[in-house]
Amino acid sequence: MLKWLRNLALLAYAAFALFPLLWMLIISFKHDREMYHTIFLFSPTLENYRVLFEKGDYIGYFLNNLWVSAGAVILSIVVGVPAAYALARFKFRGRESIAFTFLSFRFAPEIMVILPLFLIYQRFGLYDTYLGIIWVYQLLTLPLIIWVLRGYFEEIPPEIEYAARLDGYSWFRVFLKTLVPLIKPGLVASALLSFIFAWNSFTFPLLLAGQNVVTTTVAALQYLSSDTVHYGQMAAAVTISILPEVLLALFIQKHLVRGLSFGAVKG
Amino acid sequence: MGDLWIRGVSKRFDRVLALDDVDLQVNNREFFVLFGPTGAGKTTLLNVIAGIHIPDRGHVYLNGRPVDHLEPNERDVAMVFENYALYPHLNVFENIASPLYSPRYRQPKEVVRQEVMRIARLLDIDALLERFPAELSNGQRQRVALGRALIRRPEVFLMDEPLVHLDAKLRHQMRAELKEIQSQSLDTTTIYVTHDYREALSLGDRIAVISRGRIEQVGTPEEVYHRPASEFVAKAFGDPEMNVVEGELIEDSGRMYLDLFGQPRHFPVPDDVRNILDHHSSRAVRVGFRSKQIRFYPEDPEGKWLAGRVYSFEPLGATAILIVKVGDHSFRLRVSSEQSWEIDQPIHLAFDMDRAFFFSASTGKLLARSEERKGDVPWPS
Repeated sequence: MLKWLRNLALLAYAAFALFPLLWMLIISFKHDREMYHTIFLFSPTLENYRVLFEKGDYIGYFLNNLWVSAGAVILSIVVGVPAAYALARFKFRGRESIAFTFLSFRFAPEIMVILPLFLIYQRFGLYDTYLGIIWVYQLLTLPLIIWVLRGYFEEIPPEIEYAARLDGYSWFRVFLKTLVPLIKPGLVASALLSFIFAWNSFTFPLLLAGQNVVTTTVAALQYLSSDTVHYGQMAAAVTISILPEVLLALFIQKHLVRGLSFGAVKG
Repeated sequence: MGDLWIRGVSKRFDRVLALDDVDLQVNNREFFVLFGPTGAGKTTLLNVIAGIHIPDRGHVYLNGRPVDHLEPNERDVAMVFENYALYPHLNVFENIASPLYSPRYRQPKEVVRQEVMRIARLLDIDALLERFPAELSNGQRQRVALGRALIRRPEVFLMDEPLVHLDAKLRHQMRAELKEIQSQSLDTTTIYVTHDYREALSLGDRIAVISRGRIEQVGTPEEVYHRPASEFVAKAFGDPEMNVVEGELIEDSGRMYLDLFGQPRHFPVPDDVRNILDHHSSRAVRVGFRSKQIRFYPEDPEGKWLAGRVYSFEPLGATAILIVKVGDHSFRLRVSSEQSWEIDQPIHLAFDMDRAFFFSASTGKLLARSEERKGDVPWPS
């Protein structure tokens, strides 16, 4: 009896969680004229998608989002992995303060820092540039990567590095061939999560970028025109926009949980 | 080939002086044991030799040439770590083969295969080659770690307490096996770190006793056991540890006696010792007696022995540990377990002054020990 109730509760929650996605999917296949009259029964159409791709802009937005998000994550990995290693292995003054500073990037709401950043960006010509957006995205992507990987590096006993050195490997080879494989779960999980943060970011590309770098999140605003709201097109745009992250998350779901809990190495 | 000279090495970590002016010479092909309690600096010294730590002062010479500027991977040293430090993401075969895959010691695939098989068979782990470290027991991991070190022929082997995490029986077995490997196939200078005095006495050609970063004594097993340079060394070897009491030297009718527990009559000082002690400035000395040098009797008809009470009696199979309290002092004796003792039972002790060790009360160093009786006691087990 209890099991049946539990399954029912889980089903209800699943429906609650997934319904918005389903609804959005349905809307994307509905014609504008049928939008307010029908609920589940309607004649599906690909009109919305057609308009999206016909105009050609949308592909551009999608690619923009891809460039800045992937770029931000790659930069964070290149910078974050050594930083995490240093924070884990070396003792230096201000170590904990620096580590906490990285974490604190996530504490500040974006709105709070956006105005000073806007002025700085304007002054230095970073406004509406790919570099500018990738750089500001570090506030989103870097902290998680550093904190997760620091935990991973701390778990790896230094003796493993010593053993590899004595086996005849240079420091760099030890890093690549011994350390990186051991932090892989954490790296994959935190990189993926950071990618999602960057992909979904709205405030930064809205205020720190203009015509040149338009992400899908900002582009969705277009569909809110003054007279009507093209729900169908907006739904189609959003569906395509979330596709990468949903697919990624589904494929790496298993690694996500495992990778985010430290404790990869034992024995 | 592989002689090592550690010259004046000091190393400090923050506030702790881990190594204090350490000077050691290890001969080629020697099995050299570095023995000391936890925290003495043994691992730090190994790390300095391996190049993992740079000493603050001092130099390390291998084959007469300084190696201070060489990175760990350039020093041709192999090490077995206390916690094995196996690569968790590689299986046993790859762990053992790791040195032969490195850019420095690379060998062709066929050679690697042959060597790994040879080592695995030697260490009896050839059935485990596909497994991963997480799937092995401690004893198996230890053999894999040994295999990884043995597979190439370095100038020096460093072993950091390799047997410490094994259960007692396995430790016994591995000790014998190590001895065999060492005499047969190793033929290489080995520095072996342990805090177990039995391992030190059984395996070492020479032993260096280290305490708090300083070398107390370097000598053969026989030397450190029968001629300890200080009280620390004397107490470090032997179980139960040597009983050391403080007393005062007094002169009485031409003979020198040791005043212990207010009964100097019972403790005459041997003549050759007395000659040395005459020159010693202080009258206070510390005297050590190994358990064998103390005889015990339940009754004292002639009243010539030291009276005490049994504090505890701990049977351990064939032998037992008997603790006797005399005044404030406890004497630890190893006795046969055939005769049992009650707590608080009166007991009387007789001391063999001819075999006593006399240490300075201020520095702890050995002052004298009687040579009168030759034909020393047999080697302890």
